[in-house]
Amino acid sequence: MRKLALGLLVAAVAAVLGVVVATRSGGPGTAAASSHREAPLISQDPTADNTDLYAFVSPDKPSTATIISNWIPGEDPAAGPNYYTFSSTARYDIYADTNGDGRPDISWYVRFKNLPSQFFLGNTQQSYTVTKVEHGKSTIVGKGLLTPPDNIGPRSTPNYASLAAKGVHTLTDGTTIFAGQRDDPFFADVGAIFDLVAIRHGTGATGGGKDFLAGYGVHSIALQVPKSLVDNSSNHVVGIWSATDRQRVTVSHGKARTRWVQVSRLGNPLINEVLIPTGKKDYWNSTSPAQDKQFAQYYKTPILAAVLQKLYPQFGPYPQTNRTDLVSVLLTGLANPKLNYTGATLADELRLNLSIPPTPAGMVNRLGVIGGDLAGYPNGRRLADDVIDIDERVVAGELLGHKLPLGDGVDANDVPNLSSFPYVAAPFSGFDNTKSQATKTSG
Amino acid sequence: MKGRLLIAGTAAVLAAAVLALGGVLRPGRAAAGPGDALPTAVAAELQKGFSAGDTKSEIAGLQAELRIYPHSSKALDTLGLAYQQRARETADPSYYGKAQGILDRALGLDRNDLIATAGLGQLALSRHQFRRALALGLRAKRISPTTAGVYGVIGDAELELGRYPQAFASFDHMNAIKPDVASYARVSYARELLGDTRGAIRAMSLASSAAVGEREASAWTHVQLGLLYLNSGRASHAVAEMRDALALFPSYYFALDGMAQAETSLGNLRSAARLEAEAVAKVPLPQYVGLLGDLKQATGHTRAARREYALIPVIQKLLAANGVRNDLDIALFDVDHGIDLPRALQLARKGYTERPSILGDDVLSWALARNGECRAALPRSERALRLHTQDPVKLFHRGYIAACLGGDARSYYARALALNPRFSLIWAPVARKGLAR
Repeated sequence: MRKLALGLLVAAVAAVLGVVVATRSGGPGTAAASSHREAPLISQDPTADNTDLYAFVSPDKPSTATIISNWIPGEDPAAGPNYYTFSSTARYDIYADTNGDGRPDISWYVRFKNLPSQFFLGNTQQSYTVTKVEHGKSTIVGKGLLTPPDNIGPRSTPNYASLAAKGVHTLTDGTTIFAGQRDDPFFADVGAIFDLVAIRHGTGATGGGKDFLAGYGVHSIALQVPKSLVDNSSNHVVGIWSATDRQRVTVSHGKARTRWVQVSRLGNPLINEVLIPTGKKDYWNSTSPAQDKQFAQYYKTPILAAVLQKLYPQFGPYPQTNRTDLVSVLLTGLANPKLNYTGATLADELRLNLSIPPTPAGMVNRLGVIGGDLAGYPNGRRLADDVIDIDERVVAGELLGHKLPLGDGVDANDVPNLSSFPYVAAPFSGFDNTKSQATKTSG
Repeated sequence: MKGRLLIAGTAAVLAAAVLALGGVLRPGRAAAGPGDALPTAVAAELQKGFSAGDTKSEIAGLQAELRIYPHSSKALDTLGLAYQQRARETADPSYYGKAQGILDRALGLDRNDLIATAGLGQLALSRHQFRRALALGLRAKRISPTTAGVYGVIGDAELELGRYPQAFASFDHMNAIKPDVASYARVSYARELLGDTRGAIRAMSLASSAAVGEREASAWTHVQLGLLYLNSGRASHAVAEMRDALALFPSYYFALDGMAQAETSLGNLRSAARLEAEAVAKVPLPQYVGLLGDLKQATGHTRAARREYALIPVIQKLLAANGVRNDLDIALFDVDHGIDLPRALQLARKGYTERPSILGDDVLSWALARNGECRAALPRSERALRLHTQDPVKLFHRGYIAACLGGDARSYYARALALNPRFSLIWAPVARKGLAR
């Protein structure tokens, strides 16, 4: 659920069409005058908010696949004393579907604990436990692991790179894990998107956009999984999604065991923001990919196509109905060309074909598959894949032969990603921040 | 004194109130309290810091957008909600009318607009129009039965209409769809009403945890935790929670008022008065002004107290002119302060028909008792306690009625005082005397 950036894409352009889509603003509700309890009605719950999911064959370690899921949008490095941490009352989930049925075959559940003297003293380090569920069997594969602290500044968190390196751990199933604050690797010209779709210069293919996420941080959970754990050895395609759960409570509780309710999920980028209508968002977030058939209608008639038609009629007409091409890219994988098809089950997952070798650095095409680079989105998703440009083009009809050089003019992240695990760059510190003059001193 | 200027500004358009205001506000402003010293920068910070962002400029942006695209449902929806947020930030009830107009326009474009329907439901709740809120909540549910927020509107309305089993079921359903700050807070309130203070604190702690990253909502949960501690005999815990709230959100008026209540409970009346004056300077809610008056009275500043009390009917008039129904609150204040008791009873009866909740039962029982009708008051007071709510005020009223009927008040008084030794500056001493007898 990338509300901050991508929600705006639709929210802003919806104005043109006069249709209701996302509402991210509004804030807590009500009641200046009241003696009744004025609880908030709408909540953003940033610590439960999945922003982006990535999955790729590790370029420096091709016997493994890397999964990175990010939470907490828009972390402002200078926002002390309210520093950012994972929620200690939520559960963070990463799922792998190895047989294409939309159900998890392997699940990693991560739960965080605050350490004593958590806030106000700037101690943002947390400990966490990883539980793996496979074939209905639950095993603790990591316990008492530590996140690095947030990057506060050279006095509180000196030599951040080495602090962060201590945050890399090995789980008992052979998976490597990192959890903690990182630079937000997502890049998009949010300002321009707000100003009616993303295009500052011509059709946006010539650069010149501004990365409005530059300088902001997120919290990442990164897993480097030995391929052998997730490779089905027939079509070699693994489907990945991540989610967040919170504990259900009832008025007349009792001390029942914890019941988890999923409040956020994420497979392919943009689905909840661009495709799912307002009245279905809570429900969609609570469901799992195996249930996605019921949402297929929204994939077939994407609102963004109608928006493009309205804004750039000179490049149209854009296909607006019966978009089976989008259904196959997003819900089944591509069979033609043979890429990551997993069968007839419709399920929103990031599908990664583990048998496709990683593209060497320097030859990576940010447009992924539509740019001729089969190791990129929608075959999994790499940090460098430009999903805004890819999605605009695909929705405009790229796969149906309606090729247009659309884009937001921001082609890469503001800082280079790392060449090895966890790949996501170190976060800006509160000290050497800021977003406006993004310079960076510590690595 | 921003708050008072604001009342003046709003009132200026209400011809009826203008004369009354001139008389009341001038002496109020002349009475320099600590609130006067607050730098305007702090006030500006308050208005800016709400989690919805800078609501003022957001409103300006949306208005501009609507001039270009007058048929944008999304802009209308968002503006309608932004006006309500502004009402919360400023306590200026004229935003209610603006929100109403804009959301009505959105419904005119699409009568199945979920956000506009739920937003109007929320607005009706703010105005204490609970039957209307329930109808709108149910309409929103027909549009989208899987959206958690609609069960918040429905449940809040059911609660204030005294339909407790239904309200609790709505909150359970809301939390089952989406456990978040909004649904945890409602479950917490339900548990509090049921006298389950520990369970209420647990649920509110979850709400607090789920609100991390949203400063205003987060501060709000700390205030609620503080109030739970305050009314279960732990005033010093309450102070700590209010402090957390103020650290998250400097000058937050809910927290200033909560801290004033906690300091009152601890017997630190001077600092309580200072804090309440700050809260009133931000947003002059009638209950804040009432407590400030009581604090002034209790510390021997009778004339200053009278000035505060005199503000209340003016504020009430403003609220009423903007569609807010506050009969129960007015009745309670008047009964507590011995103002025109027969009229207060009338108001309590009227308030009860609009809001037949345990609050309605309690205020009506108290009004009856203070009018000498203790026999009629008793069943009302029993109904007010039928959920076993651990509320010192309701317990005190029950004891007072028992004594009035020749029975023993002491167990009620003892429980009330154990929950909060200064639950009311006027009535806690009465309870204490009753116990000593």
